[in-house]
Amino acid sequence: MNCASMSRSHLEDALGKLLATIPPEAPEAIVKHQFCKPFLNALGYENLEIWPEFPVGRKVVDYAARKNIDNDVFIHSGANPYVYLEAKGRTENLIEGHSDYARAILQLKQYLLAPQSQSVQWGILTNSAVTQVFRKHGKVVYPVTPCLSFEDSRGLVRDVTKLIEVPKRSLVIAIYNNKGGVGKTTTTLNLGATLARLKKRVLVIDFDPNQGDLGDALNLPPTNGKLLSVLDNREVDIREIITSYKFEHPRMEEPFNFDVVLSDRELVNEIDEIKLRQKVRPHALLKALDPIKDAYDYILIDAPPNWRTFTERVIYAADVVLIPARHDNLHSLQNAATAIAKLIPTVQKARSQTGNAGPTVLPIFLNNAHKVPEAQLRLMHQAIARIIQENRRGGFDLTSYFYPRLKRGHRDLRMIYIPYMAHIAKADFHHVPAAFASNSAFEQYLNLAKEYFVQ
Amino acid sequence: MSLSDVGNLMCLPFDEIEPGDPTDAHEYLIQAAANLLGSEGRNWIPLIVQEIGLEQYRVVGNAFVYAVAAAADLKEVWCIIADNSPDTVTSTKALSREMIPQTNLSIASRDEIAAALDYLIRQPNSPLKGVNLATAVARMDASPRQYWETLQPITKLGCRITAGKKLKALERIFYLTPAPMPDVIRDRSLLESFNAKQLRDVAKKRQVKGYSKMSKPELVEVLIAA
Repeated sequence: MNCASMSRSHLEDALGKLLATIPPEAPEAIVKHQFCKPFLNALGYENLEIWPEFPVGRKVVDYAARKNIDNDVFIHSGANPYVYLEAKGRTENLIEGHSDYARAILQLKQYLLAPQSQSVQWGILTNSAVTQVFRKHGKVVYPVTPCLSFEDSRGLVRDVTKLIEVPKRSLVIAIYNNKGGVGKTTTTLNLGATLARLKKRVLVIDFDPNQGDLGDALNLPPTNGKLLSVLDNREVDIREIITSYKFEHPRMEEPFNFDVVLSDRELVNEIDEIKLRQKVRPHALLKALDPIKDAYDYILIDAPPNWRTFTERVIYAADVVLIPARHDNLHSLQNAATAIAKLIPTVQKARSQTGNAGPTVLPIFLNNAHKVPEAQLRLMHQAIARIIQENRRGGFDLTSYFYPRLKRGHRDLRMIYIPYMAHIAKADFHHVPAAFASNSAFEQYLNLAKEYFVQ
Repeated sequence: MSLSDVGNLMCLPFDEIEPGDPTDAHEYLIQAAANLLGSEGRNWIPLIVQEIGLEQYRVVGNAFVYAVAAAADLKEVWCIIADNSPDTVTSTKALSREMIPQTNLSIASRDEIAAALDYLIRQPNSPLKGVNLATAVARMDASPRQYWETLQPITKLGCRITAGKKLKALERIFYLTPAPMPDVIRDRSLLESFNAKQLRDVAKKRQVKGYSKMSKPELVEVLIAA
């Protein structure tokens, strides 16, 4: 056993002993002053790497930490914090769904998304009885663990340390709506193209074998049996089936490019759901993506419009789910609500049993929705109000998914949208992503990317 | 004990209060509210006033309440005494929605530009109705606006904001505090906003060889590299 692991083990023991002395009803101040620093020590941060009461704009987060790099001592410079820790009292209930929990998350998100927190990659929420770890990827903050109990403090510390020491580079985004024709493929393609234009490394996966439109939109033929072999056979690496897509133009100095995994023609024939379930396990895609998560900034997956084996695998593999809907299609709104309130939680539950959280659902956005007449808009808001009310009876509040800008005391019902544009429709016929071929289309998707993903 | 009335809620004789900037609310709203209030009523929404002399006050916020009090013939009105700083007047007028707060386009964030433009586009009879929000925001955000001395360069961004009514609408909300032009300009977006003659002048100053025969894109590339 080397020196570092001995001292790590010593710190874990010390934390275990300390936890036994913290009163069961400890208020926030006790947790903050008695527990948080030893916890960060156990996670591998020395005292010179921990800044209590770290200023974030006009607010203050309980702790910030970052490993010292050569002569750059964190408590001297305070520059580039890496992790924030927000403490709560044991009296506060940090179980998902509780109002204390919702308040604490909101607070942590505010710190993480502040302009001064560009360098921060992780947020930790704890009340010394439980803890939860959040990843910050650009503008997205999502939980990567469920609420973990300190009953096995040694195991918890090791898991969290392992997680935050080497963050995965990529954010896996599933684009999904149970309803077809809402523009999932177009969104996947153009969002991928836009992120590529912003110099991000992007992989786009066509996981809709019935349509395979994504490959067609790029004029690339589907593969035969390759994707299936990745999913049911651990020997085949996903890297072997990645195709590169390049967009060149004489007036461009450098081509735009991103990588694609094309749909699998064989999967269309694989209609026996039971057999498919036996072959492709729930975590198949999640595991298949693991080796490439450091090679890309964004992995976008076009999910099929249903809730069958493939879709479940996509949602299981995703960090976040982006749901397009249409203002003039009631079913797309209803299906989005069903996905958020009923379908996706089943996957979240399954994933939390394996010790990780996810996926997080992002607010719904309206596709093809420019210059909506007032009457149509009124109809849509009425329909959304009904959907929200129905789901509230079932104990699920969907308001923030439809109206992300709604705040206390401010009835702001603006939704995120991509307008109808001839450029977007036309680009399909030319087999080129609209965000590459047209600057106006790019600017629309840039707006979407900045709204959701890029800080 | 402080003798200052700043921050206090006080009942002041109406005659001692000057109106300040009058409200432009419709007569109907004033009359109907005055009828509800009555001549013996109490204005629970107070006037915000500054003390301008001995037993003399001037309205700086809630000018609508002043007009209603006048119409209702109130002898006394309830007022909050504000301090005399100019910032107080600005923030009070913004809070009582009697003034549109302005945004510094030189340093505004993308979100601030988007919110301000969205507000202008959504105004009734806005001349900016045909402007595409996402395009305008993307182009304004990416422009070298920190050096702009006027809003005129917006008309060159190709986002359907032309000089005249549209630019005037923008002037209602945006102002600029331009940063000094750097001695050596290598910022692509700034160089691209110059015309060919201006680029040649810059190239001449920086002693770039053969600049007089170069095209605009070539000049930009040379100046970035030089």
